[in-house]
Amino acid sequence: MSTGPRNPGAADPAASQPDPTVVRVWHRLVEALAALGTFMIGILGLIICADILARNAMGASLPLVSEMGALLVVMIVALQLAAAVRSDRLARTEVFIVPLTTRFPRIGAALALIFSLVGAWMLGLIAMNTFDILADDWTSAEFIGIVGIATLPTWPFRALILVGFAVAALEFLVRALVEARFILRGRT
Amino acid sequence: MSPVEVGTYAIFALIALIWIGMPIGVGMLVVSFIGVTLIRNDAVAVNMMASVANDSLEEYLYAVVPLFVLMGLLVTVSNVGRDTFDVFQRMLGRISAGLGMATVFANAVFASITGISIASATVFSRIAVPEMTRHGYTRKFATGVVAGSSVLGMLIPPSLLMIVYAVLAEQSVGAMFLAGIGPGLLLSFVFCAAIAWMARRNRSFVFETDDTEDYESIGAWAVMQKFIPILALMIVVLGGLYGGFLNPTEAGAAGAAGALIIALLRRSLDRRSFWRLLVETGQITVSVLFLILAATFFSRMLALSGVPRELAEFFLGNSIGPWGFLVLYLLLIIALGCLIDSISIMLIMLPIALPVADAAGFDLIWFGVLTVVAVEMGLLTPPFGLSVYTIKSAMDDPDLKVGEIFRGTFPFVLAMAASLVILILFPSISTWITRI
Repeated sequence: MSTGPRNPGAADPAASQPDPTVVRVWHRLVEALAALGTFMIGILGLIICADILARNAMGASLPLVSEMGALLVVMIVALQLAAAVRSDRLARTEVFIVPLTTRFPRIGAALALIFSLVGAWMLGLIAMNTFDILADDWTSAEFIGIVGIATLPTWPFRALILVGFAVAALEFLVRALVEARFILRGRT
Repeated sequence: MSPVEVGTYAIFALIALIWIGMPIGVGMLVVSFIGVTLIRNDAVAVNMMASVANDSLEEYLYAVVPLFVLMGLLVTVSNVGRDTFDVFQRMLGRISAGLGMATVFANAVFASITGISIASATVFSRIAVPEMTRHGYTRKFATGVVAGSSVLGMLIPPSLLMIVYAVLAEQSVGAMFLAGIGPGLLLSFVFCAAIAWMARRNRSFVFETDDTEDYESIGAWAVMQKFIPILALMIVVLGGLYGGFLNPTEAGAAGAAGALIIALLRRSLDRRSFWRLLVETGQITVSVLFLILAATFFSRMLALSGVPRELAEFFLGNSIGPWGFLVLYLLLIIALGCLIDSISIMLIMLPIALPVADAAGFDLIWFGVLTVVAVEMGLLTPPFGLSVYTIKSAMDDPDLKVGEIFRGTFPFVLAMAASLVILILFPSISTWITRI
């Protein structure tokens, strides 16, 4: 993934951010993962429709569809989690924190900072342990499907799931940094 | 601390964290993680959490969520909602308060091709409310009808809440879908009865001025043209499920494909907007499935703590009994509905209540229908009535106060409470169709 040529003469809108290149690459990464997840939704719909047609027209289900479908669901969630964290799409209630933040912006930000750190902690733990599961999948050559008809190794799926959770954990940390800066400086 | 104490504190800690605004999924993860650490140790807790994250969503069934969400978004952009309203407006426009009833029935039909109440609330606040105010209805009543009937979206299949319930209660999604049809129709008729009663007894609540405006008359052929796409989608989804041709996941895929064809035929979709819909589908899917993932961990932690077993012994062992438990449970859900959103209520309450309901010998499909109706009442009650806020933001009218909409929805909350009592007394309304 290229970040495009940098033009040192032009005004950089992200100049106030710490190291704009890192920030931009990071944004692109999160977006790319989310786009991959979005693409998987299309794939999911297609393979299931193909399965319906195959079963009703030819009388035989396609191999791998249900196992692939199941793994695709986990991947869709893992790959889009970071984007959901960034755009604040994780379900939460606003009865308390929104009025609080309006009245006392820094206290609200401090609360949000704690939430982001907890999120990073939990997803970080999940990511680290998914690494063990990935190692198991790799060494025992875990696969889905039926031998002799069609099989797929599970480790590439698992690797993407791991990447998704790890990036989401880091995105929580990025948010925590933004909130910490706000608390210290009083602005974003 | 004993495991039961840990479990009990965990429940209260979770409710507190959710209330102060922690993302609900994150709150469930951290509370369950600490709970398991205290009951066993941190190594067990980490392993349990990672295996839940990897395995709990690895189910073919969950593919149903993105597919039905996509279908709902596609029918929303292709103006199928407006067509449904036009058809019922023509059929019912001339009766007293007929537009109110047309809104209810259009919602019921639209609900059968979409799975989210919020979609119905958005669509009909833009279509039905202006039409009703033009015909002299009060804004309070018009928005109230839209909010009230939007709950049908979650009751009439396909329905996101039914899917979530089926998953948590280990019931078949297909059976839950079919179980929603009877209660959905019951609710529609109770709503219409309430509207008719208000139009007679409390005219000033319903009408601002006399209805002098003309009704657009559309010919029978146009009605057919508008109704055929809706009917086709209903046949594919409900017919496929009910006839046993399709399992729920496949019904979702077929429905989404059908909705895509309709959207393409009507030229309401280009490549850009289609991608945007897919992105939106992804975001809704993530927020729902991440909650399910976290709730799975929460319910495993609770099972480890033994709280549900203790509760079952408590409720069923003394004079409160199963019926007392049911009433308390439903009241608690309605009360929680004033604070937090529907899916979260189910994810918190069901791991605690399902073992009790099971031990009490309740039919879990019927129990699910009652749960969904009670949860949906929360969409209409202040201060967290999600449907009401959706209408407020969809209407984009600074004069319209949230309080006015809440007053308008109040009769429908009462109608839902009445329907809930009917559903408790006559379980067969929910279960007969799943028994055939």
